[in-house]
Amino acid sequence: MLELKDIERCYTNGSSKTYVLRYVTANIQEGEFVSIMGPSGSGKSTLLHILGMLDAPTAGAYNFLGEPVHTFNERKRAELYQQYIGFVFQAYHLIDDLTVYENLEAPLMYKKVPAQERKSRIADMLDRFNIVAKKDLFPEQLSGGQQQLVGIARALIGRPKLILADEPTGNLQSQQAHEIMDIFQKLNREDGVTIIQVTHSEENARYGNRILNLKDGQLQA
Amino acid sequence: MITQVALAIRHLRKHKFYTFINIFGLATGIAACLLLFRLVYFEMRFDMFHKNADRIARIITEERDPSGGLNLTSGSALPAQDMIQNTVSHFEQFARVRSNGMQVTAGQGTPLERKLNAEETAVYAESSFFRIFDWKWLAGNPDEVLKTPGTVVLARNIADKLYGSWANAVGKTLLLDNKTPLIVQGVVENAPPNSDFQIEVFVSYETFKADKSLFGYNPNWGSSSSNDHVYVLLKNKLDFGAAEALLARVGQEEYRNTNSKKIHKLQPLSDLHFNSDLDTISDHTINKSRLFILSLIGLLVLAMACFNFINLATAMVVNRSKEVGVRKSLGGQRGHLIRQFMSETVVIVTFAAITGALFAYLLSPLLKKISAVPDDLPFLSNPAVWVFLLVVIVLVSVLSGLYPAFVMARFDPVAALKNNLNTRSIGGISLRKLLVLAQFTIAQALIISTLVALSQMNFLRNLELGYQPELVYNVWVSPDSAYIGKYETFKQRLKQLPGVESVSFSSDVPGSFNTWSGNFAFGLGSDDAPFGTSFKFIDEDYFETYGLKLVAGRELTQSDTVREAVVNETLLKRLGINNPQEAIGKEMRIGRDNWIPVVGVAADFKTSSAHEETQPMSMFSRKSTYFVTGIRMDPPSMTKTVENIKTVFEETFPDQVFDGQYYDEYIAEFYEDENRFSSFCQGFSLLAILISCLGLLGLASLMATQKTKEIGVRKVLGASVAGITGLLVKDFLKLVLVAIVIASPLAYLFMEDWLSDFVYRTPIHWWVFLLAGLLSAGVALLTVGFQSVRAAIADPVKSLRSE
Repeated sequence: MLELKDIERCYTNGSSKTYVLRYVTANIQEGEFVSIMGPSGSGKSTLLHILGMLDAPTAGAYNFLGEPVHTFNERKRAELYQQYIGFVFQAYHLIDDLTVYENLEAPLMYKKVPAQERKSRIADMLDRFNIVAKKDLFPEQLSGGQQQLVGIARALIGRPKLILADEPTGNLQSQQAHEIMDIFQKLNREDGVTIIQVTHSEENARYGNRILNLKDGQLQA
Repeated sequence: MITQVALAIRHLRKHKFYTFINIFGLATGIAACLLLFRLVYFEMRFDMFHKNADRIARIITEERDPSGGLNLTSGSALPAQDMIQNTVSHFEQFARVRSNGMQVTAGQGTPLERKLNAEETAVYAESSFFRIFDWKWLAGNPDEVLKTPGTVVLARNIADKLYGSWANAVGKTLLLDNKTPLIVQGVVENAPPNSDFQIEVFVSYETFKADKSLFGYNPNWGSSSSNDHVYVLLKNKLDFGAAEALLARVGQEEYRNTNSKKIHKLQPLSDLHFNSDLDTISDHTINKSRLFILSLIGLLVLAMACFNFINLATAMVVNRSKEVGVRKSLGGQRGHLIRQFMSETVVIVTFAAITGALFAYLLSPLLKKISAVPDDLPFLSNPAVWVFLLVVIVLVSVLSGLYPAFVMARFDPVAALKNNLNTRSIGGISLRKLLVLAQFTIAQALIISTLVALSQMNFLRNLELGYQPELVYNVWVSPDSAYIGKYETFKQRLKQLPGVESVSFSSDVPGSFNTWSGNFAFGLGSDDAPFGTSFKFIDEDYFETYGLKLVAGRELTQSDTVREAVVNETLLKRLGINNPQEAIGKEMRIGRDNWIPVVGVAADFKTSSAHEETQPMSMFSRKSTYFVTGIRMDPPSMTKTVENIKTVFEETFPDQVFDGQYYDEYIAEFYEDENRFSSFCQGFSLLAILISCLGLLGLASLMATQKTKEIGVRKVLGASVAGITGLLVKDFLKLVLVAIVIASPLAYLFMEDWLSDFVYRTPIHWWVFLLAGLLSAGVALLTVGFQSVRAAIADPVKSLRSE
């Protein structure tokens, strides 16, 4: 599904270059559940952002579904991730001004999904995650776990092939964390959604079926 | 679209403080701009409603005086008018109009008798006047009226006053100046306020021609009055140049014979309202440059409000970076985001425009203080106001919304999500500083202008006039043979009134708008002096009544004719006589009159407004030219005394209309324009300060929240409250200081130009700049300081934990 070849991301600071990622080469197949692990500052999040096309590599090639993403302009990349990728963030990143319902609706608006279909898809999601009663609440009125549920619902609503999760349970208590990870596992097994998560926790990594270890910007064998 | 607006409103409600600052600031700017727009729109569209406006012109006279200067006169010599009518073939219509104060009486001798003075609203007009200009006819046939002597057309206003209702007017007879009967042939609707032809009485020109001696018809080429207008309707507007070429030849021989260099020209109707060198019938002109300055200031104030908006919006961007990042990760593209932020802007601006229109409506009465517009200037009924509001909404939205929207939409989503953006990394910090700087420069310049204008107004109030206008009441009288015999009775009866100190008749008050001047010779047998003298005709009580002083000799003694003269110091100085005593006993002569002795020298007094130099002045007695009564009163119960004066006047001159005024009110009219300008400056500098402070307040509070962590860290490290406050305030104060440096020379140049209109003026003191600087620095300090102190005393533990 994705192919990374010699991906490199560096920042130039005056005359010195700092490499955040270097020589990263990897292949991820459709249906995998991959965990990216590594100590702080090892480049996990940067790698995830590059995979999610929020950030661009400074060198190397990135093929997504056979398309050379690294050669695309912002607009074309946006079209790609609109269609195939959903994000889940550690800090949930719901839009404070929008209700749960509207948060779920936002990506569909950007995809120009017609109103009728938006309605039914949102209803499905609310149902599936048991948050129908919360649909008119604002994020600040929800607990962290509930917010993350909405975050996942929002990531799924665009029917992505790939979910990128940046420490999705980092802000949650363990009970809620388990629930969230169960959901990811179910998505992966039952719906065949490819999942790539960044995590610190061995326990969370065990939900997946493959681990990529990063250290100082390089993948460890 | 609807959801975008709903979302925008929700967002704005969440951030009430900034929304309030934005809407209030913009609304104030829009209100100010709208007020000025109404003013400028009103002034710009004078007399444009006439169907043939682009073909209408007035014939004017341009005279080159011996020193080479050009003098323009709105009128022309009567024989020249006849010649023009006979020789220039480009005119479809030709109308003589002579403006002339009149008194009209309806129902004379009956219990319904009503009398009115039409000082500035009466004319003799030819019938063709109504074929050049469009008037709305309520009664009468415009093709039939004013063709014979003894006929008159009235405007509705005066017809209502004279006959109860205009519908009763046609066919009635009224009396002109208590002598000439006129038949009312028609009634027209009052002229709309945006017309320079506020005429209420149109007497047929034939009436004027029918009794040339009575009405002072002057058939000489040498005499031309600014009241004798001719309006023409060109056959084709392209004929303008051709007609002027023919006009230039009219009367050249005759003018040479009268030793003058005069030439006639055409003044297009569109120029009438803006040319202050030429009178109009309604006597209200305004320079286009003045209108330009007003528009400019309106735009500047609006720009200041937009600056606020841009400043606050870009500063708020930091707080919204997360939202931008999320939206981008959800697939939102720049276009989406720009649209979203723009709809927020449009919502704010629309609210502001509505609020601003409301403010403008409530503040409409203030328009009168800064301009000469009428009270009933149309507001919401004027479609131009709506168009203006719409244009403002679009313009302000684009100007102030686009930049912040682009800044936000441009964010790098990763950095935005990590909340790594701060005010600095967005850029725009120098832009924001520049905008605040611009605001304070404008505010500063307006404050300086206000202070200078106020100090000049104060200077004028305290100006040594050389006479004492306070406590003097003036009543206008008519030295007509029918009334002149009663002058003495009038004076004696007035003197007997309690509260009246002295009474004097004269041709004019000491300092006045009018000048009456001519050649004179000084020293028996000498030639005419190389300069002219103004003159006034005064009686023996003039000096006492107006508080004039003598420096040599004595006052005039009682006489009905010219017998002796009093001159002023300026006249002697111009003649080179330094000791006033030398002048006493010398003989002088006005024009070709008899030689008369100079008996006194008056201390100089201001013969006109502070705009003009004191003129050489000679004063004589001559009862037949006494037009005004001066009455000096005791301070208490002046109102009662004025009532008594009115009673005495009406008993003495039963068929005349009472016309009186306090002399100091008359003098205040000298400075009407300046007073308006001063009020204008005061109002707009307040506004400018208000708007810039709103912006500062918003910025300072945003800055304080954004620096919460920094402040917390500094406090933990031991910084004092004062130190932190200083840190926050310093930046703003620097901007204010730079603004002072930029604004001061600009305001200085502008106000020097304004003051150059005055002969008697205050210097621009250095402390004006200091005061203005302290004022705006003080206001800025207060605004920023409050927020800063609040931020500085906050508990550092809390602020650090929230991160």
